[in-house]
Amino acid sequence: MWYNIFKFEIQYRIKRPDTYVFFLFLFLFSIVGVDFVFQGADFGAMKKNSPFVIAKTMGAITGIFMILASMIMGVSVLRDFEYEIESLIFSTTIKKKDYLLGRFLGSFTVLLFVFSGVLFGMMLGEFMPWHNPNYLLEFSFLTYLKTFLIVTLPTLFFGASLFFVTGALSRNLVVVYTQGIFLFVVFMLTKAITNQFWQAILDPFSLTTTTFVTKSWSALERGTQSIPFFGGALMYNKLFWFSLGILALLYGYKKFNFNVIKNKQSKRKKVQVSNIEPVSDASAITIPDAEKQYGMLSKWTQLKQFSWFYFLNICKQSSFWAIVICGMVIILINSVSLGTVYGVDSYPATYFIVEELKETSIYFFIIILVFYSGELVWKERGAKLNLIYDATAMSSFINLAGKYIALNLIYVVLMLALISSGIIFQTLNGYYNYEFSVYFSGFFLEILPSLALFTFIAFFVQALVNHKFVGIMVVIILFISTITLGVFGFDHDLYFFGGRSLGTYSDMNGYGHSLKPYLLIKSYWLFFGILLLIIGSLFIVRGTETNLLKRLKISKQRISKPLFIFGSVITIIFILLGSFIFYNTNVLNDYWTNSEATEFRIAYEKNLKSFEYLPQPKIVDVNLKVELYPLSRNYTAEGYYILKNTNEQPINEIHIQKLLERSVTLDTITFEGGATENNKYATYNYTIYQLNNTLNPGDSIKMNFKQSLTTKGFESGNSNSTIVGNGTFFKNQDFPTIGYSRKIELNDNDERSKYNLPERTSRASRDDMTELVNARSGGDSDGINFEMIIGTEINQTAIAPGNLIKQWTENNRSYYHYKMKQPIVNFYAMVSARYELKKDKWISKSDSITKHVALEIYYHKGHDYNIDRMMLSMKASLNYYSTHFSPYQYEQLRIMEFPRYAQFAQSFPGTVPFSESIGFVLDIDDETDVDMAFYVTAHEIAHQWFGMQVAAANVKGRHLILETLSQYAAMMVLKEHYPKERVQQFLDIQNDRYLEGKRRESGQEPALEFVENQEYIYYAKGAINMYALQKEIGEDKVNLALKRFINDWNIIDGSMKNHTNRYATSKDLLGYFKEVTPDNQQYIITELFESVCEF
Amino acid sequence: MELIINNLSKTYSNGIKALQNISLDIPTGMFGLLGPNGAGKSTLMRTLSTLQEADSGSVFLGDIDVLKQKNELRQVLGYLPQQFGLYPKISAEVLLNHFAVLKGIANKSERQELVKALLEKTNLYEVRKQNLKGYSGGMKQRFGIAQALLNNPKLLIVDEPTAGLDPVERNRFYNVLSELGEHTVVILSTHIVDDVKELCTNMAIINQGQVCLKGNPSQIIEDLKGKVYKKTIEKPELNLYKQNYQVISEKLFLGKPTIHILSDNNPGDGFTGVNADLEDVYFSEIFNNTNPKSN
Repeated sequence: MWYNIFKFEIQYRIKRPDTYVFFLFLFLFSIVGVDFVFQGADFGAMKKNSPFVIAKTMGAITGIFMILASMIMGVSVLRDFEYEIESLIFSTTIKKKDYLLGRFLGSFTVLLFVFSGVLFGMMLGEFMPWHNPNYLLEFSFLTYLKTFLIVTLPTLFFGASLFFVTGALSRNLVVVYTQGIFLFVVFMLTKAITNQFWQAILDPFSLTTTTFVTKSWSALERGTQSIPFFGGALMYNKLFWFSLGILALLYGYKKFNFNVIKNKQSKRKKVQVSNIEPVSDASAITIPDAEKQYGMLSKWTQLKQFSWFYFLNICKQSSFWAIVICGMVIILINSVSLGTVYGVDSYPATYFIVEELKETSIYFFIIILVFYSGELVWKERGAKLNLIYDATAMSSFINLAGKYIALNLIYVVLMLALISSGIIFQTLNGYYNYEFSVYFSGFFLEILPSLALFTFIAFFVQALVNHKFVGIMVVIILFISTITLGVFGFDHDLYFFGGRSLGTYSDMNGYGHSLKPYLLIKSYWLFFGILLLIIGSLFIVRGTETNLLKRLKISKQRISKPLFIFGSVITIIFILLGSFIFYNTNVLNDYWTNSEATEFRIAYEKNLKSFEYLPQPKIVDVNLKVELYPLSRNYTAEGYYILKNTNEQPINEIHIQKLLERSVTLDTITFEGGATENNKYATYNYTIYQLNNTLNPGDSIKMNFKQSLTTKGFESGNSNSTIVGNGTFFKNQDFPTIGYSRKIELNDNDERSKYNLPERTSRASRDDMTELVNARSGGDSDGINFEMIIGTEINQTAIAPGNLIKQWTENNRSYYHYKMKQPIVNFYAMVSARYELKKDKWISKSDSITKHVALEIYYHKGHDYNIDRMMLSMKASLNYYSTHFSPYQYEQLRIMEFPRYAQFAQSFPGTVPFSESIGFVLDIDDETDVDMAFYVTAHEIAHQWFGMQVAAANVKGRHLILETLSQYAAMMVLKEHYPKERVQQFLDIQNDRYLEGKRRESGQEPALEFVENQEYIYYAKGAINMYALQKEIGEDKVNLALKRFINDWNIIDGSMKNHTNRYATSKDLLGYFKEVTPDNQQYIITELFESVCEF
Repeated sequence: MELIINNLSKTYSNGIKALQNISLDIPTGMFGLLGPNGAGKSTLMRTLSTLQEADSGSVFLGDIDVLKQKNELRQVLGYLPQQFGLYPKISAEVLLNHFAVLKGIANKSERQELVKALLEKTNLYEVRKQNLKGYSGGMKQRFGIAQALLNNPKLLIVDEPTAGLDPVERNRFYNVLSELGEHTVVILSTHIVDDVKELCTNMAIINQGQVCLKGNPSQIIEDLKGKVYKKTIEKPELNLYKQNYQVISEKLFLGKPTIHILSDNNPGDGFTGVNADLEDVYFSEIFNNTNPKSN
């Protein structure tokens, strides 16, 4: 018997178009599955079709599209109730067991067919032309099949059982969809489990499981080995979920009631009472003649009525509240990582909470958007009330618009719920600075507009496509293709749907200048959305005509006059806004597509590469007056460089590279003695000045210039965030540089080979004579004299390196005059913001002459949590470094906070700009956390030695000198002031970081002495190895070596540096290490720095 | 006000000719549209209710071109479809109020009064707060008519309203319908002859997309007077009679077939004359229409 039902189910589904739509959808999606799931990930040695990648991708796709399972399995029993034939079926001789078993197996078979799209799609995806065969293993059908059976099948079985049972028991489709959210919540919760084994067992999509079982693998193994199944966590995971599925089925079987009526008794009784009512005086009642209105006012009343009516309608559904509660609970029980830096969480500031909430809730919003838009558009048809509605004089547009508004109100309810859970979270964590405005803007300015815009699309599609599920699929496809378009660089705000995102919120600068264009662009799309809604309302099924072509035909007569006028007004506003945006992005500013940018880079390299090592003078003197206008985001910089010919041959021409941005202009530039301008390469903002008088070796020349940044309107996408209302931070690289700029070259090696450009290494080899004389590009020097007057708005403080020799106000602006007493490297930053100031001083103990160093921390009001820790670190670091390495060279040391648009701290001479997000708001518990505010400060101060005193040649191993030594120095300070466990904890974090980086490494891991740009080596492994070195040979010996190294190689008076024009290399450094290491321990140096040893 | 249907035709994409050159003049008052299942009644009703497109022909209600000025017609249209559902979790009062808004009754107090009156009229006032989920078939239909009357329609279209109602419910429904003023064109489609007999001043019979008969019910019955004869026969004889006479209907009476035939003069053979009623008219027309040769 069950077999007949099974057969019937399959035959029924075979005839349904959605079966094929679903299959096709998964098939097409899976072709790009790997690219989608691993979007932006560095594959490294991992092959794109390795079992590991396939397992991850299949797991993720199965998880994401569990929705499909709910649509297929959920309706299986539900269908009989929807078509009201349940009484026919249940009254036959079919047994409950046969009915349920047949239906389940039938639907599950169809589900397997649909999901086989993943299997075949992924196989085909391997052969797509955009995959480089070098990144692929040989095709193996078996791997795909095996992974499908191991990873996808059990998950599907569990999902299928769950959805089947909930569909059969609840008889409500939306409840079924909600189960998808339930699974997601489970998935999120498993992330909170700290025990990795249990996490691996409980993850419903087995994503963490695959990572867990391959944890100990090297990149190569991950790239090729197949995933171990039997006896491992993966098997237990699958067994666990499989048995849960069985349990769900058993439960469903027990609970399923083979009756038609679902506990209605109480209501029946009531009805019967009222049925006895007499009919006597009905004829005596006259029906009052109410006035019918069809004007604007009436439409407005209707719009309000519809919005509220549909809103309440969704609010009455328990499934919606299930979503709301899940959303609220998730942040409360999930282990949230709020702005975590090396395992240390930040204070639960509102913007962190908002970001966390947004991240976890976005899936909920998408489900609500996709499904409820379908439910709402189909509301009347679902209730079979459509003919009554359609025969009334209501406007289809008003009806659709009402539904649209109702759905947006639903988003608002969920957002308010999320906000209250965020506030509860903050309160529980003892944080009471709620900042409602940040909550408000985070949700209602950032998410709601995007949701509202995509809802327009969903409504439009559902209006056009006369099939709810197909509509849902089309909506999902449209969403994905929109995202994909953005990834491929079709991201102009005028045609990338919805336009840009709002950008990062910073306590210092709020949303800054990005808010206004953001709102403008969102309103442009809002009007577009309204147009979509109007068009949708013209095409939507009204009456019994469902054929799309016929609907298109009669849509013309549906345009009523008011609607036409409304539509025209909207169109005009849409065009006007569009033109205004175009004027801003493409007329006032330049818009470059990805391919235009690539072309430019290629042409730059082809035309100018020959100038790369052309002898050019070096900057030895900088004297500038910078006027900052943070509010209008402009500046001017006027003054001079003195350029010195340090080469052995005379120089006749000087090459100047200006920033590429059009808003930056080089207004004047003159050379002492005069020069002729050669504009041959003007396209590249590259100008050659033919000097009237030859610059002989050892001679200097003064170069006067004025550069301005004039921000006009706004650009497409998110524009530069260096000159902002509060928290300007920009560097001297923005000023004219000398000679060819390697930074402009096309960077990605895959792309380079496509355009026949030679492969580009990130660092030159250690014996490359041309690079050994460079420490950084663009007019290096062995020290510049620096003087700067910097003016800014009256309530801001502007900071540059040097002693503050004068400060005054003039024309309602503040001016600061800085001058460095000693030469500095040609590397300086200008910073301006409204600051609080914490001052202290440090007195050098080791010097024979006592020297006062002014310590200053400029921070944003309210960010004073860790100021004392940073101040302590400044003193401790100065003490340690000046005692063990060499004296501190400047008379001041400043830390300046800047907005979290960038998340780093960086050292410049005597000044350390420090991002808002990495130290100032960390919630450090000394019992459990490494004091990262202390550590990062110490690391940056170490750069005052390694970077400011010693410069490293721009060759392999450069960062061993700059970063690894800074890590070492900071660790020594940490060790001095904190217990051993904290240092060990820090080393453990470094070890994790190293292993993680090693796993992602695509090439051969280099030894430390040849490190290029691999952070995991020069930061993480560097820290570990330096720690090991000082443990083996002694801290004092390492310090002695460093002292000698600095003494010989510092750029000002280094005894070695003075005799050569090249800079120090890792080889030099290791020489000093070897010098202090006893003969019997020399192997340690080899092990730690000259080879790649496994731990 | 009169509804004038002129040469209305509609062929579905599967080739079925649902309406073939239908022409009807329908005055105010109750108009019964009689026809077997699948005759095209619902297609006609939906076309008149602006829910479906016609291929050719025209329909005018006064000055309103029904096929083109859909919105104008909808303003004066009341429509009760053959099948409809209700939102289960809402009360009658709330839903009726909702319909009142979407029918353009913008003034709140007027609307409340109207809703109250209609609920009383349809005898639903006592149960107005109950969720519609618990409504019986009759209550549902009465709610349906209440919503159709909200905008004081000039054209009221009621498609098979009594199907599935028990006699008490049906009577109650008729009571509501019968009271509709003389100023409204009411079209009642049904396949139940009694509905038309009891309520309508004018009627038409349609079958296979064509109008076979139109006029005043009593007049039509008059035309058939003295032409209908009946006889109770044995089951096996049925085919024989069908060959020899124009058998317009066959019914079981106490388990034996009773046939009605059409004949200009008394056929004898045990037949007795009967007072023709509307049902005979209906069956004779259907008979003529489906067997044109034997006429």
